[in-house]
Amino acid sequence: MAADHERWSDSVAPYLLGALPGDELAAFEAHMTHCADCREELDALAPAVRALPNSVEPMAPPPALKARIMAEVEREASLLAAAGPEADRPPAPARRRRRLAFGMPRLATLAAAAALLFVGVAIGVGVDQLGSDAPDTVAAKVDPAMAPGAGAEFELGDAAATLTAHGLPPAPSGRVYQVWIKRAGQDPEPTAALFSPAKDGSATAMVPGPLDGVNQMLVTDEPIGGSRTPTGKVYLIASMS
Amino acid sequence: MGQNLGLLADEELMQLVRRGQAPAFEAIYERHASAAFSLAYRIVGSRNGAEDVSQEAFLNIWRSGARYDRSKGSVRTWVLGIVHHRAIDFLRRATVHNKRRASDKGMEERFEASDRTDVEVARREEAATVRDAMDELPSEQRQVIELAYFGGFTHSEIAEMLEAPIGTIKGRMRLGLKKMSDRLSGGAVMR
Repeated sequence: MAADHERWSDSVAPYLLGALPGDELAAFEAHMTHCADCREELDALAPAVRALPNSVEPMAPPPALKARIMAEVEREASLLAAAGPEADRPPAPARRRRRLAFGMPRLATLAAAAALLFVGVAIGVGVDQLGSDAPDTVAAKVDPAMAPGAGAEFELGDAAATLTAHGLPPAPSGRVYQVWIKRAGQDPEPTAALFSPAKDGSATAMVPGPLDGVNQMLVTDEPIGGSRTPTGKVYLIASMS
Repeated sequence: MGQNLGLLADEELMQLVRRGQAPAFEAIYERHASAAFSLAYRIVGSRNGAEDVSQEAFLNIWRSGARYDRSKGSVRTWVLGIVHHRAIDFLRRATVHNKRRASDKGMEERFEASDRTDVEVARREEAATVRDAMDELPSEQRQVIELAYFGGFTHSEIAEMLEAPIGTIKGRMRLGLKKMSDRLSGGAVMR
């Protein structure tokens, strides 16, 4: 262990400063899990690194920045609210799926969208009560501001899901759509499901599993090749609860 | 909502953010946007770049509020850590590595925060204290810390740049951070 520490003892400072190359970073973090000396050194040097951001001259961000961020936040908050209070909670153990696909007609406001979503959910419950034994299929809530007239659903299989959409606009220039999965209390996880809709707005994408514990799927626009964390706007959300 | 969000601590606001409450997120933004934008500008060296980084970071915070762990530090430290990470990513994506930092030449783009609230005054005092601590370091120690933290360079890149052995660079980083930590120990700047 001592020899191992010798090898890494001078890496704590570069680690804290973000100056370890990728290959060393993982190895050092693995070493630190069992090296009390390195952790002690880390605790001793960390205050300086935590203070570094405070050395910067304060600057006022432009008001337009807040306006852009809050517009997106409020839009997503509305979508989440429309998805229901269970949207970010762990799924029930023996949950039943709704089999429902509905397109979102053009709506002028999110309030109107929410009203329609309520109708959509009510229809979904009605279908559910019929006791359908159809494949597990979940309708997505489409943001009418981002994709007016679009509709989408996820068909859930044991090891993968399939997204089928219609009426999607082309992704912004230089970007593609990406599907994300989300488990309760966790960040959205990227999937390899990247797609561009056909000219008529239709699209199909396979979302590889495992999907255990997933309670939401989202679609955003991302740079070609995809992202590791969402950077674009949310177009649709499907809740699995 | 029935709550005066301004009275809530950051940690309490983050619990509301986790539940998707936009007003709580707005309060977090108001408290930390200036520091976040300033740090982003210091690293990427342009207003447009700083806006992009700040927007990306705050949307990430909104979407990943669940990741905040109060046992690992304050909300401010967490927020600025995300901004730092995003800004360094931004730098590494940039093709021109040399023209991107907020050099003295870029100062004309700066515009000072206008709010002169007590909080803002306290933050300026914090900034001055940390800068004093940095200024007291030998220049070769301050240089490697700045190149790494604000420049996004790895130890081997810095070693190559300064034509010094990697071990020397690591040693300067350690000594510099140790002196700063000792100088700042117990101070409010380390929250």
